[in-house]
Amino acid sequence: MSVEIPSDLPQGRARSAPRRAALVWPHFNARSLTVWRRNALAWRRHAASSILANLMDPVLSLLALGLGLGLFVSRIGEYSFLEFIGPGLLAGSAMTWITYDLTYGCYDRLHWSRAYHAMIASPLSVGEIVAGEFAWQATRTTLFGLGFLALMAPFGIVHSPWAVPGTVVITLLTALIFTGPALAVGAAARAEEQLSYYFNLVITPMFFFSGVFFPLESLGPALRQVAQFLPLYHLVELARAFILGSPLPNLTTHLLWLGLFILISFLLPGRLLRDALERIA
Amino acid sequence: MREERQTVARARGLVKRYGPVEAVAGIDFTIRPRECYGFLGPNGAGKTTTIRMVTCRIPRTAGELEVLGRDVDEAPAAIKAQMGVVSQENNLDESLTVLENLYVYGRYHGLSHQEALRRSHELLELMQLEGKARVRPMHLSGGMKRRLAIARALVNRPRLVVLDEPTTGLDPQARLLVWQRLAALKEAGVTLILTTHYMEEAARLCDRVAIVDQGRVVAEDAPDRLVARHSGQVVVELDRWEGALPPGTANGAGPIRRADPIGESLYLYGDDGDQILGWLRARGVRPLSFRVRAATLEDVFLVLTGKELREA
Ligand SMILES: Nc1ncnc2c1ncn2[C@@H]1O[C@H](COP(=O)(O)OP(=O)(O)O)[C@@H](O)[C@H]1O
Ligand SMILES: [Mg+2]
Repeated sequence: MSVEIPSDLPQGRARSAPRRAALVWPHFNARSLTVWRRNALAWRRHAASSILANLMDPVLSLLALGLGLGLFVSRIGEYSFLEFIGPGLLAGSAMTWITYDLTYGCYDRLHWSRAYHAMIASPLSVGEIVAGEFAWQATRTTLFGLGFLALMAPFGIVHSPWAVPGTVVITLLTALIFTGPALAVGAAARAEEQLSYYFNLVITPMFFFSGVFFPLESLGPALRQVAQFLPLYHLVELARAFILGSPLPNLTTHLLWLGLFILISFLLPGRLLRDALERIA
Repeated sequence: MREERQTVARARGLVKRYGPVEAVAGIDFTIRPRECYGFLGPNGAGKTTTIRMVTCRIPRTAGELEVLGRDVDEAPAAIKAQMGVVSQENNLDESLTVLENLYVYGRYHGLSHQEALRRSHELLELMQLEGKARVRPMHLSGGMKRRLAIARALVNRPRLVVLDEPTTGLDPQARLLVWQRLAALKEAGVTLILTTHYMEEAARLCDRVAIVDQGRVVAEDAPDRLVARHSGQVVVELDRWEGALPPGTANGAGPIRRADPIGESLYLYGDDGDQILGWLRARGVRPLSFRVRAATLEDVFLVLTGKELREA
């Protein structure tokens, strides 16, 4: 049986099904780095205040908790309380540096400054914009991370020669894992207030239950299992090993989990950003 | 290859739906090199949606759309590389200075550091913004912002520049300056596509105009020919009169091609005002208060849609 196709069928309509990719991956290339450059130029203007604002928080935590509270806390394993929380604060702060900057940044560049709308009118693709944001967060977070490491050193926390490359690895991994979700949240939010759900329901609890301030052993085995699903937990373990030189028996497990989180982070934002750019006229 | 040289943009049965809303309801156009082509229509007519499809920013729901010889779905980066875009909503980068806005955009387009800087300074001069290089866009007047947006769209020396309501919200002087720049661009051989709801703008700048309403093109031609064809050259605005108009005047009678009641007045379309008035007097109608003026695209819109362009 054959179907008669009317000869006067407009050709265009026949071939017009919109082919939209189901997934939009970050597309790292030379053009994507122009987004990095735009962010670097914009950041340079307020670099000093940005460094101060972002390092103040972890340094104050270190002083208040590490020195203050530390007086009442006996040693955790073989480390002082200060030593224990230092590396964890590095990983946890890296997470919040990225999250605060990029959820609001993405929302701003979609709704107010509309910088993304301008970018998408140039040859840049959504995948390239996403890749540029990844590259920039990696740079910025690494800069802050090294700054924080330098401030930790006088407290006698830094034990291992691996601390410097280790910090870079931690900040890069943190950027790879948290840039995607931050962009995704900024792109999906319909109102600015919605961004705070992500902080309050995801980021803040993760900060407290990833072993930054106390060993997860004290939570009991059940919660310990749950912590496996928190990317920050693996980053904190890694950070402690790099900076204090503590042993890391489950390295492969940590890396596998981190790889999975990176994959999710790569997958999450592209489509949401593409759809937001279409939705927000 | 030849086809590409003859059309800069070509749409057939172009449709864009947002859920139940048909923003663009099947439009056709063919835009030729070096012409200035305008989409004239009221708010909500579908102008911006059309422009966003032409500039590869949103996918079409149906139809064919080729820009600069390529299907917009297949080669967006290649098309955008040869195109300049000025959006309806201001999207200058407030985190950057005026100069950096141009520089960064040059980099998006693949210019080297040196090229991007040189081009940025050139464009600042062209748009008379040299004095503002180091300030942020928020400190510019509306007219300057728009000039900066146009400058940014030219950074890649585009063959086609697409402008969505380039002068909306500008005061008359600023508008004039933008018009002059656009005319100079056209002179230089750039193809222009623009949207507007100002009929003076369409009449002044555009070689051809598509009048759009509710997602459809209701007429397309050179502005003066649209006027000649649909409304006639003059409009007699009759405010007060004595006597009854002959029956059937509404659809044209004698020198009157058409009559439309607008508020308390009656608009009489034709090609000769004296003839129309004489014809009325000979039939016992005494015009007491009236104006005779040249017909405009506004009248064409009214004739074609029964609505006024501004309030439609
Ligand atoms: N992103 C969108 N989502 C839903 N509806 C939209 C969207 N963009 C435009 N529309 C609708 O499509 C119609 C045409 O809008 P638009 O193209 O902006 O008109 P114009 O530019 O001529 O004023 C309007 O009814 C508008 O509400
Ligand atoms: Mg519009």
